[in-house]
Amino acid sequence: MRIILVGYGVVGQSLTYILSHSRLSNLKEYGFNPRVVAIVDRKGAAIDSKGLNLREVLRVKKEKGTVSVYPRGGKPGIGSLEVIETVEAEVLVETTPTNIENGEPGLSNIKTGFKSGKHVVTTNKGPLAIAFPALCELADYNKVNLRFSGTVGGGTPVLEFAKKCLLGDKINSIHGILNGTTNYILSEMEDKGLSFQQALDRAKQLGYAETDPSMDIDGIDPACKVVIMANWIMGKKITLKDVKFKGIRNIALETLSEATKRGKTVKLVGSIDGDCKVEPTELHRYDPLCVSGVLNAVKFVSEFAGEETIIGRGAGGKETASAILRDMLDIRHNLANKLLS
Amino acid sequence: MKKVIMKFGGTSVATGEKIKNLARLVADYARQDYTIAIVVSALDGITEQLIEATEKAEKGKADFIHLFKQQILERHFKAAKVAIENKKILKEIQDVIQAIVDELEKVLIGICYLKELTPKSSDYVLSFGERLAAPIVYGALRDVRLKTQYFSGKEAGIVTDSNFGEASPLMDVTTHQLKERIEPLLEDRIIPVVTGFIAATQEGVITTLGRGGSDQTGTILGAALAADEIWIWTDVDGLMTADPRIVPNAKLLHELSYQEAAEMAIFGAKAMHPKALEPAVKSEIPVRIRNVTNPGSPGTLIWKNHVADKAQVVKAVALIGDVAMINVTGSGMVGVPGSYAKILEVLGKNSINVMMISTAVSEANISFIIRRNLLERALSTLEIALLGKNAFTQVSYEDDVCVIATMGAQMKGTKGVASRIFTAVAKRGINVRMIAQGSSELNISFVVKEEDGEETVRAIHEEFELYEN
Repeated sequence: MRIILVGYGVVGQSLTYILSHSRLSNLKEYGFNPRVVAIVDRKGAAIDSKGLNLREVLRVKKEKGTVSVYPRGGKPGIGSLEVIETVEAEVLVETTPTNIENGEPGLSNIKTGFKSGKHVVTTNKGPLAIAFPALCELADYNKVNLRFSGTVGGGTPVLEFAKKCLLGDKINSIHGILNGTTNYILSEMEDKGLSFQQALDRAKQLGYAETDPSMDIDGIDPACKVVIMANWIMGKKITLKDVKFKGIRNIALETLSEATKRGKTVKLVGSIDGDCKVEPTELHRYDPLCVSGVLNAVKFVSEFAGEETIIGRGAGGKETASAILRDMLDIRHNLANKLLS
Repeated sequence: MKKVIMKFGGTSVATGEKIKNLARLVADYARQDYTIAIVVSALDGITEQLIEATEKAEKGKADFIHLFKQQILERHFKAAKVAIENKKILKEIQDVIQAIVDELEKVLIGICYLKELTPKSSDYVLSFGERLAAPIVYGALRDVRLKTQYFSGKEAGIVTDSNFGEASPLMDVTTHQLKERIEPLLEDRIIPVVTGFIAATQEGVITTLGRGGSDQTGTILGAALAADEIWIWTDVDGLMTADPRIVPNAKLLHELSYQEAAEMAIFGAKAMHPKALEPAVKSEIPVRIRNVTNPGSPGTLIWKNHVADKAQVVKAVALIGDVAMINVTGSGMVGVPGSYAKILEVLGKNSINVMMISTAVSEANISFIIRRNLLERALSTLEIALLGKNAFTQVSYEDDVCVIATMGAQMKGTKGVASRIFTAVAKRGINVRMIAQGSSELNISFVVKEEDGEETVRAIHEEFELYEN
């Protein structure tokens, strides 16, 4: 299977690492022979229709900061849209950074992928948060798959759990701790009595929080995940505008200690239960949802199977890259069925 | 504040005078705290002229193009001149018209050279009608000091599949783009003028929405922008209980359900095509048919929450003329699976639309109604395909018939409706030739001799007391 990878940050690099190190087992167990034919970063692309040497590309990226100077097939200055349109491939993997203003460049990358008949795997929440229903319709119209497991729960299969494991059941509500950074901050405040600022600084030191942490602490990132789950799992045609969200920026230590006294704890919870929202919420300490540190947890309440909670690490390069691999295998499976039928 | 999509049909923009009138009307509502988006059709008759031009061009005769171009230019220049008083605005609009007509000329010459008219190029040519109308309406609105901007359906963001000539919108993509491009204008109280009927594929190739296309643009905008109402401005007060030329005391229907309105599509040009109604139905936005020349009339409101008058089982009755009835007979059809399908398949393959079907449980014959102008083709096709085969022995026809259609959601479950209809008809000594009622029970259609048609309509109108009290 030929793959174009657009966006070569932590997740993209982790993916090439996984692909280069698990080539044999992929082939043996899944008959999956991925060939990355193009990688695009901000400065250009590396292209080889027979498949790039991933270890080599990774080394060039680490040393020179861009893949565009890759010795065989490096193309400085070439844009992602041109690569997507002109390079032949079955799958486009889109891992550019999330932009919730207009979804770009991810939105155009994905649309261009569809138009040129490519299946798309993305970890970019921006385009989905802004235009989920439109992207799904375009994928259907162009008869290609759109997969985005890595956008919710990182490597934890939250979306697949709901979509596949609860098949046939009706999911009535979803509640989740959907952002590891804010959960880490809240846990630190509660356990160690740190102020919000102190806990945030520590999260930054450990690399859990970005230099500009507003996506996390203002609740934007979990709100994007609510949009994705509401659309994909519950069939609601909503976008980010339809989610009410409030972060933890103004949360006081007293609020947390007050809750502790009552056997409760405050978490940033995203919910789809009638309406869609993200806000700091009091949970009982023994609520299965109540995980600490950078963990994520999502609780589904379904009509017949009742309550299930899935817990796992919600972020990280390798974790998210493993979700991409899963999506690619799923697409490979669909493609094989189509070719053989 | 009320958000309303206003669609103006070809007759409402037929001349400069009418466009001027349209601008005044819109200005009135804009002052009354309405947020407005406008959808315009081509000037009345222009689309037909464009179709004719494509047919000539396909034959490769380039000599007509020069004159045709002059005609189109003059018609639109004249309309603009009357509609727009401000000289500066007028000049600007005339330049726009000139540029669009120049483009049209090039396209027609291109078709002449190729002697080939694809559905794709046909859509492109047809789009010029609306593209020429929108700037004039835009100019006229500016002339009365309204803030406005004009778009083609493509520029506004309406995306369809690539079924040229009869394209269907990709509603989610369209909604996304309309929200991005048009909604901000509404928030700033700028009136967008969008061409009806035309859209584009995801690649940006121009498509048209087919029959009822401009109305559909209106409902698409309404659904995407979550309008409070969609107003279809036309030159009649609304939908009537019957054609007033047949029944002088026919009454305006004030309210209809979406389903009833869809049933009435066959009732004539002023009704809405079900396809055009669909976006409104899905997002439950009320549609109002209104009269440009009589804005005081509330028109016909088509919506979901319509409270039906239980007593009013039949709401409207129509005569559908220019039809013919074909009967296929053959004892060999009895109990043979697929024999009806064979007949319909033959017709379908030859692009003959079947409007109504009736068969008896004896299965020895099937009757159906088609457009009269297709009769000879249908007969010949059926005879060649079917006769001589064991199952079918005779194909006969009657071309002096018409269909009477009665409509009303309350027919469902009400006993004795059919009895009342046919008793009323029988009392006038009229013979019923063929009957069909679907199990949806929204309508009963039947066939009578053409000479009895109008009398039949009056009989039913009277029986169900549809007239003005």
